[in-house]
Amino acid sequence: MQNMPAIFLRSRIRSSSHSPNCALRTFSIRSLFSSATPSTSQYEVPKPSRIRSCGFVAGSCSRLGAGWVRHLEEALGKSSCPVRFGGLRLFAAQPTIEPATSDGLTVEGIISNQWTILEESESDWKSHAAAIAQSISLIKRRLQWKKMLVRLELLSTQLDKLDLWDDPQHAGKISREHGNLMGKMKEVMEFEQELLEHIDMIKLAREDNDADLESESLKALLRMRRFSKEKELEALLAGEHDSCSCFIEVQAGAGGTESMDWAAMVMNMYKMWAQHRGYGVTVVDEMPGEIAGIKRATIKVDGEYAFGYAKAEVGVHRLVRISPFDSNKRRHTSFAAVAVIPILGEGFSHVQINESDLRIERFRAGGAGGQHVNTTESAVRIVHIPTGVTATCQNERSQHQNKASAMAVLQSRLDQLEMARQAQMNAQHTQSLTEISWGNQIRSYVLHPYRMVKDLRTNYEVSDPDSVLEGDLDGFILSYLSDLMDKDEASP
Amino acid sequence: MKPSLRPSFTRPWPCIASNFSTFFFQLPTPLTHARNITQIRHRHIHSSPSPPPPPQLASSPPPLLPLFLRPPEYTTTVSDLLEWHSWAKSLAASIGSSFEDSDNGPDSTLLCRELNWLMEDVLDGSDPSLMHKAVARDDPDTIISLKADVQELYSLWKQRIDERRPFQYIVGCQHWRDLILCVREGVLIPRPETEIIVELVGDVISKDEGLREGLWADLGTGSGAIAIGIAKILGNYGRVIATDLNPVAVQVASFNVERYSLQDKIEVREGSWWEPLKGVEGKVAGLVSNPPYIPSDDISGLQAEVGRHEPRLALDGGAEGMDDLLHLCNGAASMLKPGGFFAFETNGEKQCKFLVDYMQNQLPGSFCNVNTVSDFAGILRFVTGFRNR
Ligand SMILES: C[S@@+](CC[C@H](N)C(=O)[O-])C[C@H]1O[C@@H](n2cnc3c(N)ncnc32)[C@H](O)[C@@H]1O
Repeated sequence: MQNMPAIFLRSRIRSSSHSPNCALRTFSIRSLFSSATPSTSQYEVPKPSRIRSCGFVAGSCSRLGAGWVRHLEEALGKSSCPVRFGGLRLFAAQPTIEPATSDGLTVEGIISNQWTILEESESDWKSHAAAIAQSISLIKRRLQWKKMLVRLELLSTQLDKLDLWDDPQHAGKISREHGNLMGKMKEVMEFEQELLEHIDMIKLAREDNDADLESESLKALLRMRRFSKEKELEALLAGEHDSCSCFIEVQAGAGGTESMDWAAMVMNMYKMWAQHRGYGVTVVDEMPGEIAGIKRATIKVDGEYAFGYAKAEVGVHRLVRISPFDSNKRRHTSFAAVAVIPILGEGFSHVQINESDLRIERFRAGGAGGQHVNTTESAVRIVHIPTGVTATCQNERSQHQNKASAMAVLQSRLDQLEMARQAQMNAQHTQSLTEISWGNQIRSYVLHPYRMVKDLRTNYEVSDPDSVLEGDLDGFILSYLSDLMDKDEASP
Repeated sequence: MKPSLRPSFTRPWPCIASNFSTFFFQLPTPLTHARNITQIRHRHIHSSPSPPPPPQLASSPPPLLPLFLRPPEYTTTVSDLLEWHSWAKSLAASIGSSFEDSDNGPDSTLLCRELNWLMEDVLDGSDPSLMHKAVARDDPDTIISLKADVQELYSLWKQRIDERRPFQYIVGCQHWRDLILCVREGVLIPRPETEIIVELVGDVISKDEGLREGLWADLGTGSGAIAIGIAKILGNYGRVIATDLNPVAVQVASFNVERYSLQDKIEVREGSWWEPLKGVEGKVAGLVSNPPYIPSDDISGLQAEVGRHEPRLALDGGAEGMDDLLHLCNGAASMLKPGGFFAFETNGEKQCKFLVDYMQNQLPGSFCNVNTVSDFAGILRFVTGFRNR
């Protein structure tokens, strides 16, 4: 308290220069403490730094692509006017709308020409074109293009119905989904169109001996080629819930302190991975081990596509090393199980939770409570009585926030349960921690006698475990996702 | 240490600003022990043992600002920070359950969690992955910026453990509901139980537009917690007057009000119970208070964080702990408008039952629907009711 005078003296000096009418109000001390309004930073989640571009068109290409879109829109109706989209049936059936160069070359055609694909550095338009065409075909496969067409047709039929808007909620859902789907497809088709227009340009330039135009177009193709690699990856994340934020849960296997330490290392790996990607990370629930590490923990990873990536991590992770907790320096094998739960946003339907179905247990300060006790302990546990699903949060600093966090976890767990019931998702991704079998090992991290991290599903491996444990997981994630998608599409 | 007898500090609203700083310098005794006893009878503060004086922290003055609001103007190496952290952690671990056993204080698990929060506040805004990376890469010389000097962190954590200085005073804030309220010595750290008062008000205003649009009063506002909580749920309606006798509380509450940009909605007034409400008699739609309610004799046995560090003025409710509660009950009827709502926090079942009986039998006809409400530990904690129409 002995410093109170100083602070308030300072506040008065500063505030009088800042706010001329401070005599009327109490005093403007905000200027002293902080220029900012209340910091809700603890609760606000920073957006991922890398905002996904929503257009498929890179740089100068957009000018060229636009023509084809107009063409599509004329043929099928404006995207903002979904009711007229029944016309897309034409597109599925009639190859005439498939984009082609002036001399009839299509993406399919390019692929069947089997032009050699050279290094990017080689200025060969056929090589670029072939690489891009392959990407487009891969992207379509990953997006499950045929299914998309069928779905689009179904939605269009529904949008055509006159009584659609009798149920505005349903209608909204249909037209949103239609819009999303249309958007995704348009991107790819624009890209396709662009490729073909550049090829036209190159041919034209050669006929006219226009070296400038040729090199311009060649550059544009190179840009497209690089960009298409990125898009190939993005196409991996086209699942219904992929764009959601998520919870990641880690639980230590049997084996005491060594495996609790491993669980903490795994959790740390995800925290760092998420931070690198620009996601917000908050610890929701954490049960520390007695000596080191964690028994289990839940973090919230906030940002676009967090679930899409993280779902690749579900399963059991195995560590082999000389345990620092073993005085005899023996080699130990430990396990940690990982579960990932999507946090469904506004657009999704949620399981309705009745207040009366909940039992909310809060930390009770022993004794008289109230003014008698000052404790920072404010854990909250919520039990959903009908299902027995529980959620605990003790890492927030107020009871109110702990309850809100625990409710959010509970909601996501119940949603996940419901999704599993409806089997809308790949069954494995919907597993909760308790369901993950310790036999389901997905990755092995060996620090001794040799050093390697190997994914048992894809055989992807890395010889620098440190970088992986620091969150450099994208290689593992992407190789798994592409394996999964490309396999998926191949099977009939 | 004797409490000083001093006049009530009620002043007309606009003067407060100009008088403030000089006023602070003139305080004759620590405010923690000051009490305006002129208006409350039967209080025997002198006979109850005084808590030990607050520890002298002259060597390391308490922070002027809550940690999380300070600029990150210090730098250190990751290894120095980690060295402090592991020192602090082992200090916390050495406590085991000894505080808990002696006076229901924190155990080491909780102290470790507090340590994490302290790290969170002192690193606030800097990239946390930098730390992890430095550790993983075994690069202890990585420089990170901090909101406090590492030396200060040592002395802060020593205060936490050795002197049992409350964690919330160490970091200068308390997370309460969805708010982060600045607190400091001289102001009560708001309790989780009290969050329920805001919920009770929420229930009432959702059923009664008239109350929602009316004038609310939070008496003995302390950090401003209840007043700010209510102002936020009132939304675009209504207005709140927050009062306190303790000028430190008035300062801190005003600061918090401004931080949440609620200065047009909440007016903070200084003065003893009803005094600052002069002029609004019979017009108040809702009256809430968490007045001091601990019986004087219990003060000496309080948990060290509370008894040694929190202001006695905020805790001591007189011989039975009921002095202020009774004073509030007696005045509530004339302050509330017909149909107006009140909610008071109490020490528990005994006080709750006494007050319900008192309001029904000693103040007949004044109130209706007088009820008690339990806190989340199942202890009868609140008395609520309405002024008769
Ligand atoms: C238990 S604290 C409650 C603080 C705050 N409302 C909260 O719930 O965190 C009681 C408050 O009443 C104030 N107080 C004590 N005597 C008072 C009086 N005679 N008039 C007005 N306020 C008084 C104290 O300064 C203290 O801030």
